[in-house]
Amino acid sequence: MEKPDNKKPLLERMGESQVWKSIIRSGVPRTRRQRMHAILGSVFLHLHPARLPKHAVKVGYTWCMGGLSFFLFVNLTITGILLMFYYRPTVEYAFTDIIDLAEQVPLGIMRELHRWTAHAMVLIVWLHMVRVFMTGSYKPPREFNWGVGVILMTLTLLLSFTGYLLPWDQLAIWAVTVGSNMARATPFLGHEGPGAALLAIGDINLIHVGSDVRFALLGGRFVGEATLLRFYVLHCIGIPFIAMIFMAVHFWRIRKDGGISGPL
Amino acid sequence: MSENKQAPRAAVGSSTTSPGSDNNDIRRRGFFRWLALGWLAFAAATGGFFIVIIRFLYPNVLFEPPQTFKIGFPDEFSPNSVDTRFKKKHNAWVVRDDESIFALSTTCTHLGCTPNWLLTENKFKCPCHGSGFRITGINFEGPAPRPLERFKIGLLDDGQILVDKTKSYKWEKGEWENKDSFLKV
Amino acid sequence: MSLAALKSVIDAISAPTISFTILTVAFPFFFPPTDWFEKIHRKLGFWRLWTKKGGIIGLLLITAFFVLGYFDKNFNITLTKPDNFPIVLLIYSMFFYIWLGMYKAYQNDERLDAGLKPNEYNDPDDKVLVWPDLVYIEFIALILFQVFLIVWSILVAAPIEEPANPAATPNPSKAPWYFLGLQEMLVYFDPWLAGVVFPTMIILGLMAIPYMDINKKGDGYYTFKERRVGIFIFMYGWIVLWLFLIVIGTFFRGPNWNFFGPFEYWDTHKVVALNNVNLSELFWVKLLAKGLPSNILIRESLGFIAVFVYLFVLPVILIKTKLKGTYETYGPTRFVSLMIFGLGMLALPIKMYLRWAINLKYIVAIPEWFFNI
Ligand code: HEM
Ligand code: FES
Repeated sequence: MEKPDNKKPLLERMGESQVWKSIIRSGVPRTRRQRMHAILGSVFLHLHPARLPKHAVKVGYTWCMGGLSFFLFVNLTITGILLMFYYRPTVEYAFTDIIDLAEQVPLGIMRELHRWTAHAMVLIVWLHMVRVFMTGSYKPPREFNWGVGVILMTLTLLLSFTGYLLPWDQLAIWAVTVGSNMARATPFLGHEGPGAALLAIGDINLIHVGSDVRFALLGGRFVGEATLLRFYVLHCIGIPFIAMIFMAVHFWRIRKDGGISGPL
Repeated sequence: MSENKQAPRAAVGSSTTSPGSDNNDIRRRGFFRWLALGWLAFAAATGGFFIVIIRFLYPNVLFEPPQTFKIGFPDEFSPNSVDTRFKKKHNAWVVRDDESIFALSTTCTHLGCTPNWLLTENKFKCPCHGSGFRITGINFEGPAPRPLERFKIGLLDDGQILVDKTKSYKWEKGEWENKDSFLKV
Repeated sequence: MSLAALKSVIDAISAPTISFTILTVAFPFFFPPTDWFEKIHRKLGFWRLWTKKGGIIGLLLITAFFVLGYFDKNFNITLTKPDNFPIVLLIYSMFFYIWLGMYKAYQNDERLDAGLKPNEYNDPDDKVLVWPDLVYIEFIALILFQVFLIVWSILVAAPIEEPANPAATPNPSKAPWYFLGLQEMLVYFDPWLAGVVFPTMIILGLMAIPYMDINKKGDGYYTFKERRVGIFIFMYGWIVLWLFLIVIGTFFRGPNWNFFGPFEYWDTHKVVALNNVNLSELFWVKLLAKGLPSNILIRESLGFIAVFVYLFVLPVILIKTKLKGTYETYGPTRFVSLMIFGLGMLALPIKMYLRWAINLKYIVAIPEWFFNI
């Protein structure tokens, strides 16, 4: 092995060390080649192409909204996992655990970070949609990716909504009571929906309080213990899992549809 | 897709094929039969699995308060009054009018909030979207599409009243005529 | 004018009947979908909203409204609720970004008129490197946003109310802010429509946009002129039928879901007559002075006819008359989807006005079958 050249700056020497080179192949990105390599050689950065048309990197064009949506999602995952260390999804403990998050737990603002980030994400995803609409970026060949985006927006709203129940305070259970009661009115599948009465064998209704879609959602006849657990699982695992799959498709399709849209 | 669909159809109705290819044809027919059967089995298994998962969402045992409860003796309820004692635990108001006692569900027929009994205004008023119900449970203002439901009510052998929430009676279906929906006094 | 008088004027015009009408009528003049609207848009100076000056004045007006609200003892209560802060952000950011999009669009439209390429255009061979040009921008955006979130979290404590109590419903009882548009629709429609059918149609309708909009122009740059009808329809739905309803639901709905002006005191005992009547009652009882027929289908026949005409006869008439050209260029499938989503979207303002004008509750009212329209 060569003797390290002590006259070279420290950063340079680090960039040439075996450890660095084994992790980041490109070395310190100085030259054009190294910089392209920096993007292509990293599993995370190579979501991006190595080179882009000028307008595509301008904040004025994309408003950075898609990137921020993703950033907020990652942010929520991290703060959410931290909250899970202290929060127990049971009627007995949920409320007091939330109080403790502010009063007993170090830092005391983890819940705030999670909640306000969630609100911000809804807003940012909406702004992203407005941007994509205003630049006409849903037009061919990006029709499908717009559809994926609509699903992502729906999932974002559902994530927020399921999370809303977890503090188990008055705000939470009544918002979810009113929200989930709409499911009672689902045509055919809700026990107070049009057509539900048609699904009967003789005198026995197939769709009743204990068998309709709302019951499956709540795990009971009203918002209670089982609902809290179901919403918790959906909020922490179920929906994020689905959202991650759709995000992967979304990002993949941006590249496959020819990168960021732009004028011809 | 369309080509795939064509193939088996040609194989099934194959009387037109020339006699020379008979052997081949039988083997092909058999193959497609097995293929169809295979797919059918796969679809059935997937569908069955799906149904099982849906069923999984419906618990067998519910940890909810009992659906039937005793409320005491008929003379404990004074005429033309609403008894709100059972609201919190059992989601029911017990109302006594001139000739009967009945149990009203506290679930607003709009979206399921819990209305409040306003003594001075002599009505149930829902805080969510403002539906109003008379003491009988009939809706008269706001978005509620129909009256509050009544629960099954009856006398036990010991003279106490038993309310059974598993059975409810709807006014718009004429079920309040049913003699289980009220108690004559 | 005194401050109190100004406040009562604002209270009066924010009533949904008035504010919704103003917005709807003014809308095509700000996003002109046809030549005629475009002419007036230019003549009366509505286009100035989409200039720098217009943007600044807009932001100042919003700020003035909030400042006024902050120092008003009634509005202060709703305005400073921690969960309402996102709506304040929403109002600012939606205004700013829609303004920004339109501002850029107008600049591009001028360039296109002059035969130039849009501002976004660059020589395709002249690309920039993602490292550092994009990665650094992302990095900075992310850090700034994180700082903003941390400051927000330190300054505003997350709300927590009384422990859950299934027997006592708070008054008013509101959904989270992003669903308040739906909750507002519940005032006018039955839950199966407002809670199930409409949300489904909104999601499907959004997904169908790229397939229904066959205008190839305006892809990849801001422009208004080349896509004016599309932008007009989308923005009407987005701003008036969604965002505006959210704002009403947050700031203007108080106890018992009654309307309250922003500066009005939330009086729990405010009495509002809510005696709405069904179309069948209007027809059989009020008009013909008979009792309601006992046969449900006869009773509701008028409503069924009205709905049928709206959904099925109207499109056919449109094909024959005004939208003939549209039908031919779009083809049957696209035209049918346009009609389904378009008529669905229009049903909301129609039902709102019917409610306000004649206290109409249901067009078809069959509570026996949970089928109310
Ligand atoms: C969780 C939510 C979402 C995430 C994380 C996300 C992420 C992204 C990112 C990073 C981009 C790259 C360009 C940019 O930053 O603007 C993008 C582009 C795009 N997004 Fe999203 N997005 C989300 C939701 C949506 C929604 C709600 C829509 C539309 C309804 C949508 C439609 C699109 C389309 C069509 C593009 C391509 C734009 C172009 O080529 O100019 N996405 N998305
Ligand atoms: S839930 Fe009672 S009025 Fe809406």
